[in-house]
Amino acid sequence: MVARVAGVFDEKLTEAIANSKILVVGAGGIGCEILKNLVLTGFPNIEIIDLDTIDVSNLNRQFLFHKEHVGKSKAQVAKDSALGFNPNVNIVAHHDSVISNDYGVSYFKQFQIVMNALDNRVARNHVNRMCLAANVPLIETGTAGYAGQVELIKKGLTQCYECQPKAPQKTFPGCTIRNTPSEPIHCIVWAKHLFNQLFGEEDPDQDVSPDTADPEASGEAGASALSTEGNTAGNVERKSTRAWAAESNYDPEKLFTKLFGDDIRYLLSMENLWKKRRPPTPLVWDNLPGKDNAPAQHSGLPDQRTWSVHECAQVFAASCSALQKDLKSRADGDHLVWDKDEKSSMDFVTACANIRAHIFNIPLKSRFEIKSMAGNIIPAIATANAIVAGLAVLRAQAVLRGDINSCTSVYLRPKVNHRGQLFVPEKTLTPPNPKCYVCAPKPEVGLACNLKQLTLKDLTTAFKEGLNMQAPDATVEGKGLVVLSSEPGETDHNNEKTLEEIGLNDGCALLVDDFLQNYEVRVRLQQEDEEKSWRLVTDTDAPMPAPKEDEKPANGSNGSDPKPGPSTSRTRADSDSDMEIIEEDDDEPTVKPPKRRRTEVSDEIVNLC
Amino acid sequence: MVENNDIELSEAEAEQYDRQIRLWGLESQKRLRASKVLIIGLAGLGAEIAKNVILSGVKSVCLLDNEKLKEIDLYSQFLAPPDKIGENRAEASLTKARALNPMVEVTSETKSVDNLPDKFFQEYDIVCATGLKQEQLERINNACRDSNKKFLCGDVWGMYGYMFADLVDHEYSEEIVQHKAVKRGSDDAEKNARETVSINVKRRAIYVPLQNALSVDWTRPEMRSRLRRGDPSYFVMKILLRFKDEYNRNPDPAKRKEDTKILLRMRDELVKELSLPAGFIVDALLLDVFGTVSGAAAVIGGVIGQEVVKAVSQREPPHNNMFFFNPVKCVGFVELYGQ
Repeated sequence: MVARVAGVFDEKLTEAIANSKILVVGAGGIGCEILKNLVLTGFPNIEIIDLDTIDVSNLNRQFLFHKEHVGKSKAQVAKDSALGFNPNVNIVAHHDSVISNDYGVSYFKQFQIVMNALDNRVARNHVNRMCLAANVPLIETGTAGYAGQVELIKKGLTQCYECQPKAPQKTFPGCTIRNTPSEPIHCIVWAKHLFNQLFGEEDPDQDVSPDTADPEASGEAGASALSTEGNTAGNVERKSTRAWAAESNYDPEKLFTKLFGDDIRYLLSMENLWKKRRPPTPLVWDNLPGKDNAPAQHSGLPDQRTWSVHECAQVFAASCSALQKDLKSRADGDHLVWDKDEKSSMDFVTACANIRAHIFNIPLKSRFEIKSMAGNIIPAIATANAIVAGLAVLRAQAVLRGDINSCTSVYLRPKVNHRGQLFVPEKTLTPPNPKCYVCAPKPEVGLACNLKQLTLKDLTTAFKEGLNMQAPDATVEGKGLVVLSSEPGETDHNNEKTLEEIGLNDGCALLVDDFLQNYEVRVRLQQEDEEKSWRLVTDTDAPMPAPKEDEKPANGSNGSDPKPGPSTSRTRADSDSDMEIIEEDDDEPTVKPPKRRRTEVSDEIVNLC
Repeated sequence: MVENNDIELSEAEAEQYDRQIRLWGLESQKRLRASKVLIIGLAGLGAEIAKNVILSGVKSVCLLDNEKLKEIDLYSQFLAPPDKIGENRAEASLTKARALNPMVEVTSETKSVDNLPDKFFQEYDIVCATGLKQEQLERINNACRDSNKKFLCGDVWGMYGYMFADLVDHEYSEEIVQHKAVKRGSDDAEKNARETVSINVKRRAIYVPLQNALSVDWTRPEMRSRLRRGDPSYFVMKILLRFKDEYNRNPDPAKRKEDTKILLRMRDELVKELSLPAGFIVDALLLDVFGTVSGAAAVIGGVIGQEVVKAVSQREPPHNNMFFFNPVKCVGFVELYGQ
């Protein structure tokens, strides 16, 4: 008998708990708290899944973990710690990604309730679909700083996680990043791209050299720049930055001179860019600002001191050689992955971002600030996690007791609202969006693209990134012709063909399905000559932004809309790239903007008398 | 007021507290590190508060409890392991409490609050009292008040809970975010570039002692009007404090039926006494007040933990002066009583 004392709950709930089996997805800040509450309450069967390992910056809130656990599996340590509260509970821990064939629809069907304690949209979308397919109630949680929310998702009864389009992620036009940065974040994005060009996975969309295709630079001045190209070192041929750096053996001075001297002079030659902007100032390695200054007096954390340009150059040199050494020690073809918690990676981005900022007259930032922005850190704290997890388990109890209709979304506000409310429940459940391309009875979505240019490979990307599928299969509606197969090799030979070449035209419909997610959607193709990539179009005609871009400032940056540009800078958020379940303070804002709620300044509550 | 000591954080502290420093700033963290906290009552709520406060990185926490660990505590008390039933609750919680954060000094005290002099409570910057009777709470509150020390109290009964705060005369800074248009150079590509600027405003809040908040005159017109738009949670707290007073215990899960009857009777008496509208305090609010439900303890413990952080770091407006969690509606709200 797991529930130790009768009478705490009424008989109905006591029995429902005794017969329940719960899945907790994520063993981070909220996951630890949920697990504790479930175990103490006497839930007899719990499974918990997380592929992450414990980091020291987790310890201020993930209270099931201690210093000696750093580096170990979150799921396993969480299980071991929680069993100490109540050894009679049966806990199964999976150190694994929830996005796997091992956790299919039948796996999800064995649970009465699934509780999400995730921090990224990819995994949330996936679990949402699994729970819809298995018809299991899902309790979705998230926090960001002092704020948080708990939401019930039940097929047919409430909206699903994907019923409302999510706020588009901040994007930056490629030419802003490469030619005309005006904010610190532009330089930080550039520095992360540079890291990948030199040490990471090379991505042609992350070019860091001057962009000669910038429409603003065109015209005579641009042409003159192009004609002199042959005389400008480093820009003669489109040699990869990596190859160029390797030739010079990653010599810091040579790298510096190219990136912060020659390339800047080349940008200056694109005169049109500087007619109405303050032009950048190329730097010389031997003569950097701050060289002769003693470090300024600083109070606060060492990381909160802003380095001089001279110091940045020194850190640049040191981190370059450390990263090169790391790269060399790896097998051929292997590469580094940028990680905000890895010292040299973070040093390198801080130094490069600041040197570039100085060149463009942009304020320099401290390593501490740049870490927040480059790592998209959304700080998480123990108390907000505890509150959200507590509310989530109370909601789970209500679902088990049969009161599912009372389980409206609840928002934890950072400050009380005008009615003095700190936890604000919705009045009613939000019904499903009938046009949702995930949970509607017959899901449908438009895909706007240029059929003459979009290749089958791009189409796969659109299904994976736009529709969040893991292994899409696609056939032409009415014909049954297989366009894409998730079986390796079956359709790969067509990868480079355009959609037009394989006979798809405007108005054509594809039936696309993902076997694992048990999800099928009808995709209408829409020819748009202007579309350079692809874009989802929902039935409500509100264009859905394709998630081309994961770069977004964690805070502080203004909210202007992403602008179309000749090329966009595409960067995958680091922790999302392998679809892992990660700690809830990284990368993705875990809290959807609460609807219909404004942020009021609540002076009335603290009455001065 | 907690003095901000000027010693810089060590590298280990900076690393462990990285995320919260990003949220509430280095100054707050330094104030936290200088503060001494007393937590009274180590049932489920006390354990939740202790966890949150110890994780936040205060200087020291003293766990005070003269009661023995009971089986029913294990429903929500995660600091004391099941094999320590029968031992003192504060002492049984020490090992796990210390493991939460070795940088915080955690001690225990096993005397009854009734056998401790006022001076004892005045040693701490802030006192969080749980599980006590109204009379005991008021006495400790007044002792803290006399030496200008901050006092919080709260309780969880089943799924219901409340918190009261007396921060006496509290000064704090509040971050106000403003948006201002910015212009960079003569031609800015982003025409309507806006920048958020946050400024810190100094504020002050005056609190009243617990006895004022608990002896509200409900015949006053402004209190009557509060009833019309209000939530009955305040009265649930009154009923449960009275129950404790009268029976010298909390409602007992083993006597669920009998105690529910008593609670409903006490509800009817209170309704009559204060001429409250019939049906205002719904039965449902008094049906789930047995034991301590872990989820509710986490919720109230989270709110109280955050108020401790706000109070000692003197940052952001603290709640003035009561918080209630109504589990039937799943609403949590702040109301001012006794002013």
